[in-house]
Amino acid sequence: MNHTPDNETLTGNESPLDPQAAAALLDQTTQQARRKFQPNPPMLNLFRAFVMLVAFGGLWLSVLGQHPYTGPKPWAIGVCYGLVAIVIAWSTRALRRSGAGVSGPAQRARNIGMGVLLTGWVLVYVWEAAFYKTGAHIVYGIYPATAPFFIIGLAAAAWAAGRSDWPLTVTCLGMAIVGAFAALTGPVYCWLVVGIGLCLAMAGNAVYGFMQQRRSVVRS
Amino acid sequence: MTTEELDPLIHVPTRLKIVATLATLPAGDALSFTRLQDMIGLTPGNLIIHLRKLEEAGYLASEKNRNGTAPKTTVALTDRGRKALDSYTKALRDLLGGL
Repeated sequence: MNHTPDNETLTGNESPLDPQAAAALLDQTTQQARRKFQPNPPMLNLFRAFVMLVAFGGLWLSVLGQHPYTGPKPWAIGVCYGLVAIVIAWSTRALRRSGAGVSGPAQRARNIGMGVLLTGWVLVYVWEAAFYKTGAHIVYGIYPATAPFFIIGLAAAAWAAGRSDWPLTVTCLGMAIVGAFAALTGPVYCWLVVGIGLCLAMAGNAVYGFMQQRRSVVRS
Repeated sequence: MTTEELDPLIHVPTRLKIVATLATLPAGDALSFTRLQDMIGLTPGNLIIHLRKLEEAGYLASEKNRNGTAPKTTVALTDRGRKALDSYTKALRDLLGGL
């Protein structure tokens, strides 16, 4: 690799660009940087949308027609956990790659916020375990399908609003609304409603993300 | 409006790429020299010369931290640098609209 500056660069005097070329370079560089610094790539959100539909659709199919209601079957839970594990692995990789070499107050706030939300997610399931211990039958019905999205969706929406991240605020608020309304549909259909609702919220966020990445700086 | 009115410090390919890349980060956040070099695709020597020019104009701030054994340099766009890029983008928009 050549580590010696070229003659043109030694003086810092490169040939100036014509305006069209400058606009194209500015757009191209900005769009590339947006993609590389994006912790939630649109493709990942699109995959999350697919996972929500398949995982919750599977859980719904496994409880459909149960009399009495006993909860999702092990195969459906296995599929759900498998897909969630893939999402977690992809999300962690995307987060690491986007944040590599970046430091500063916004980056710190993002990391702390994500840590708090992850802790909250775990605590929602600890709470579920408390219900289970007391023998509440609803534990395998409405609560696990809806409560995590209602509680964490609201918390994440507040966090995103604090960072003026409006697309994420809308998506998280959508998650909370889906969680709240799905609870009204009962222990069988709440899985389906959550699956479709979250799929739409994630897909919407992905489409918005694709549009934002391609947005022109000069022609906006 | 003419091309002479575009900020000459930004209106060269390499420095435009540096400033545009750093402007994508939230205000106050900094980028490591190695990640910037990787994103821009320049040799360290070439990058340093352009960064120095931008720093001398007050568009950039660099900081050297010693974490462990190797020193780590980070660069961030200053408020002045952000304003300069905003003005440059606006001037470019006006210029293209008039062409």
